[in-house]
Amino acid sequence: MAIDRFLEPKASSWMANAGDNTDIAMSTRIRLARNLNDFKFPYAFTEDEALKVDKAISSVLLDRGEEVNQEFTHIDIHEVSSLHRELLVEKHLISPYLAAGIHAGSVLISKNEELSIMINEEDHLRIQSLQSGFHLQEAYKVANELDSLLEENLQYAFHEKFGYLTSCPTNTGTGMRASVMLHLPALTMSQQITRIIPAISRLGMVVRGIYGEGSEALGNVYQISNQLTLGKSEYEILQDLQNMTEQIIEQERRARQAIVDNSPLKLEDRIYRSLGILTYSRLLTTEEAAKCLSDVRLGIDLKLIENIDMSILNELMIFMQPAFLQHYSKKPLSPGERDIARAKLFRERLKEEHKINGDKEGEDSV
Amino acid sequence: MICNQCGERPASVLVKQKRNGQLTERHLCHVCAAENHNLNLAFEQDPLAIHQLLSNWFPVHSPSVNPVKKEVTVCPSCGFTFNNFLKLGKFGCATCYEAFESNLEEIFKRLHNGNKEHTGKIPAFYGSTLKIKKEIEELRKQLKISIEEEEFEEAAKLRDQVRELNKQLEGGADHGD
Ligand SMILES: [Zn+2]
Ligand SMILES: [Zn+2]
Repeated sequence: MAIDRFLEPKASSWMANAGDNTDIAMSTRIRLARNLNDFKFPYAFTEDEALKVDKAISSVLLDRGEEVNQEFTHIDIHEVSSLHRELLVEKHLISPYLAAGIHAGSVLISKNEELSIMINEEDHLRIQSLQSGFHLQEAYKVANELDSLLEENLQYAFHEKFGYLTSCPTNTGTGMRASVMLHLPALTMSQQITRIIPAISRLGMVVRGIYGEGSEALGNVYQISNQLTLGKSEYEILQDLQNMTEQIIEQERRARQAIVDNSPLKLEDRIYRSLGILTYSRLLTTEEAAKCLSDVRLGIDLKLIENIDMSILNELMIFMQPAFLQHYSKKPLSPGERDIARAKLFRERLKEEHKINGDKEGEDSV
Repeated sequence: MICNQCGERPASVLVKQKRNGQLTERHLCHVCAAENHNLNLAFEQDPLAIHQLLSNWFPVHSPSVNPVKKEVTVCPSCGFTFNNFLKLGKFGCATCYEAFESNLEEIFKRLHNGNKEHTGKIPAFYGSTLKIKKEIEELRKQLKISIEEEEFEEAAKLRDQVRELNKQLEGGADHGD
């Protein structure tokens, strides 16, 4: 089946680590929202219109994608099982909204999984461009090229004054949401993050974490994105976000250095305890796994841990989610059984790392 | 019970969340519950509960609001009323933007830090039609003047130019092959 290649628990290229600042910036995402002029938007359109929109957009992408060097796989959302939809959500290739399958809709995914185009989500068209690391301009370039190809062949809903017309007034204008995923363990430990978040929101940008049971963001992973889409050009929005993200990265670096200077032994102890838990535990909840992964990743960044690849945080945050664990185990799992499967996944993954990179434990533990 | 997030669909799940030390309980529908998916930051929920903001700004049930004005604002294309838009926080179609235009400036200014006009990318197609439309407008003005001044030769020339541009507008949609 066409979808199978995207369901493998294998890292996509945007989960890898490439470029500057990848010790802190994990990945970059650009999303463009567009609608066609001749059809009502998804909150008001008929099922017949939904099918026509899907067909119009899909055929342009399948016929002409090669003009922007892209080859797409077309996946009709209603022809995919709910577990498979969930896997695509966990891999960030479709949104939970599209997965709900409210209307006829599809996703087209590029070969390298860096582009995914959702049809009949909240808007007729959602172009999503993903890059590893901190690459706002590059991610925008890919999304914009595809957008320009589509606008040659389709008539977008556009207004002289309001710009691109979207279902939600928070997207009107450029229809662009740009975001960078950041790993901020030191700003979280020092609680500086609680001051940074409200300060940024006053500047038309927003920082969000994933909150589970605890009060700290899961895995100390945060996403910074633009909130304004009207009154600034794409270039200005990207530039503002670029500058703000650079400042946060700089502050995180300083906070890391302060912890290293002030309590090196406590930090080292915390990092190695977490490595121990991930390497040997038999039961692992999402919260504990995320916390330990964050510690191990920090240990890698600080060169305390040398035989594990940096991309471990990006990848395992994806593959430790419920649908991937069940896909991996080839059966449905209760929450308790998932903790067992999650622990197994981490043990196996870390064992692999040791095999590939050579186990240095013998020399180090003298 | 209606979903706490979208205020639209019936709630089917109770979500307990601890945020900054405070425990919150929210009743959500299946769609919004999926949006709050545990590990998923990639897809934004509405950055703010948009329909809630809108109904704070335009209190629908407030007796001080002129009820007559509210009734007439209906989108002729999709049938959304301004109240539908406020409750859902979403437009039904492109024409809604024109139907509700008198209220939108205020909404956009609040949502986008005082901004109310797009300054970014323009689709190539709209860029050229916009230019042609403005040229036609200009030619029509000149045409009117030349007719008033009985310069019929000049008027005929202008009329031909307008016709030519109108043809371009109509054929504009299938320029690319
Ligand atoms: Zn809801
Ligand atoms: Zn409408």
